[in-house]
Amino acid sequence: MAAAKGFFTDTSLCIGCKACEVACKQWNQLPADGLHFSGNSYDNTGHLGASTWRHVAFVEQTLPEALGTVEPQGAGNGSSFGMRWLMESDVCKHCQRAGCLEACPTGAIVRTEFDSVYVQPDVCNGCGYCVVACPFGVIDRRDDDGRAWKCTLCYDRLADGLTPACAKHCPTESIQFGDVEELRIRAERRLDQLQARGVEGARLYGQDARNQPGTGGLNAFFLLLDRPEVYNLPPDPVVPTAKGRESWTFAGIAAAGMFLTAMAGALLARGRSLR
Amino acid sequence: MTTAPLNPVPFLAPPELERPTDGREVDPSLGLLQGEGAAQRVRTPEPHPGRLVPHVEADARALTYYGLPVLQQPVWIWTIPTYLFVGGMAGAASALGAASLVAGGPTLERLENRCRALGLAGDLAGSVLLIADLGRPERFLNMLRVFRPTSPMSMGSWILALSGAANTAGFLLGSRSGPLGAVGRMGIAAGGGLGALLAGYTGVLLANTAVPLWQAARRELPVLFVGSGMASAGAVLELFSDSGASRKLTHWYGSAGKAVALGAMLAMQRSAPGAPRITEPLRTGATGLLWRAGLVLTAAGLVASGLGNRSRARERLAAGLTLAGALATRFAVFHAGKRSARDPRATFEGQRAGMGAAELSRPPDPKPAVFKLPVMR
Repeated sequence: MAAAKGFFTDTSLCIGCKACEVACKQWNQLPADGLHFSGNSYDNTGHLGASTWRHVAFVEQTLPEALGTVEPQGAGNGSSFGMRWLMESDVCKHCQRAGCLEACPTGAIVRTEFDSVYVQPDVCNGCGYCVVACPFGVIDRRDDDGRAWKCTLCYDRLADGLTPACAKHCPTESIQFGDVEELRIRAERRLDQLQARGVEGARLYGQDARNQPGTGGLNAFFLLLDRPEVYNLPPDPVVPTAKGRESWTFAGIAAAGMFLTAMAGALLARGRSLR
Repeated sequence: MTTAPLNPVPFLAPPELERPTDGREVDPSLGLLQGEGAAQRVRTPEPHPGRLVPHVEADARALTYYGLPVLQQPVWIWTIPTYLFVGGMAGAASALGAASLVAGGPTLERLENRCRALGLAGDLAGSVLLIADLGRPERFLNMLRVFRPTSPMSMGSWILALSGAANTAGFLLGSRSGPLGAVGRMGIAAGGGLGALLAGYTGVLLANTAVPLWQAARRELPVLFVGSGMASAGAVLELFSDSGASRKLTHWYGSAGKAVALGAMLAMQRSAPGAPRITEPLRTGATGLLWRAGLVLTAAGLVASGLGNRSRARERLAAGLTLAGALATRFAVFHAGKRSARDPRATFEGQRAGMGAAELSRPPDPKPAVFKLPVMR
């Protein structure tokens, strides 16, 4: 197996140009999402979905509003003129413990030689279980197609030794592609640099199992300038399977109880009829 | 959505540009459609902008990203909660039938025959309901392509398939004599064990997801579905006139189920004490009404069937109330879960209150899950 490949998305460098969204759509020949106006800053994409494998989030807040509830932490976190602008290019996280992969009943979702998580469209039967199993709300089923789709980490490009389309097109290197091991070192260095400059809100999101025990670490991790919720990322995501064992235990006890109730009832009924 | 021409000056544009396209803009005579997403079928070029619809009241939005959902909401349709009802009933009937065969003796033969039919009918109807929900129904057999213990959907497919096979053998051969009859009776016994699992796994199926309400209720859901399955099986059997020992057995089985289901429902309401937003869909709105209807109808079914001498009319009334309660409960759980998936604050507040990975006694093994079992081709 080749070394694990992934993304380090440094949101402190993102300028919100959406080149990643366009490059992803073009390279992967994904259909359009339609023309809709959200009124949410420059974000008319909204969320990742079956046909949207990169999504640029725009957090545009006047500071009193931001201060009122989610307090921006520290100086230098994208704020000026009483406003703050945070941008983040979101993508499938290619988790070490991937909810979608563990939930897939057909084996359509596999882990590739690049340690990425890939959906085989010729196997997927559209049961929709991965959609509810993803703690990040990444994978989705397209209604008119019937199958589940998500970022492939440009599996076709990786096989030819190329960089994924989004990282290739990022003009500020906010999206960095490479070996996950190396990206981690780069991310730690960048975090130290930002903190030394007084950006107190800066933090890494999901770079390893220590940072994010629920997913065992993400192959596509982030440097954020505020709490994850601000970017619509869950603060403590967990692969649902980690809690499944407990549920199975209760199901086993309940099923045994059902059978014993039936057996006890049948024995009692027989006893009465014999008398 | 609108299919009006996108170009406001129609006489300047060739007619093909006036139609909304799928956005790929690739002329097949000039370029190849071979990208990873090229096979994605588009029938609606302008899909509903569901992802842009906020689901949080305006005053609470600052805690979230414009009030937009963080999770994808379940794509399942009405056939899934209906299957939860039908599968639970069939499983509970199979278990009762197997117990009647093994422990009941000849007095319960009629009851056992009815359970046999009910179990098989439920398995068949359940399979149809599940296949109807698939995005690619023609590929339903892919469900048996792998055996994946981490996926309750995979385990459930195997349980349902094996239960269907066992119940078919039991239904066709169970009353025969000789070796074929022995095979049939083995089918009934196996179908009983599989039926108990069939009623219980559906709870795990919902619990083993990122949907905040279902994940929080991971202990209560399987118990609720098992109890509710027993109650429904008892109610359907009570709709047929029966007497003596089998009438008493059905009543005992159904009443036990109703009591268990009610207990599990009350427990489920308190499954997220640290983050009340998670269980809010059980209290407010249409989902809250449906949930309370399930609770009240099930309780009414338990009271109406009561103890002591029961008239046939009262028995049928109780059966009707119980079935309505079980169905309402399944739909309430389903739609309340959908609502909690749409609410980003249910996810955020639950995880901030320690209901994410923090509540695990031991974090999951960070190594990627490897499935060593062979893939059937």
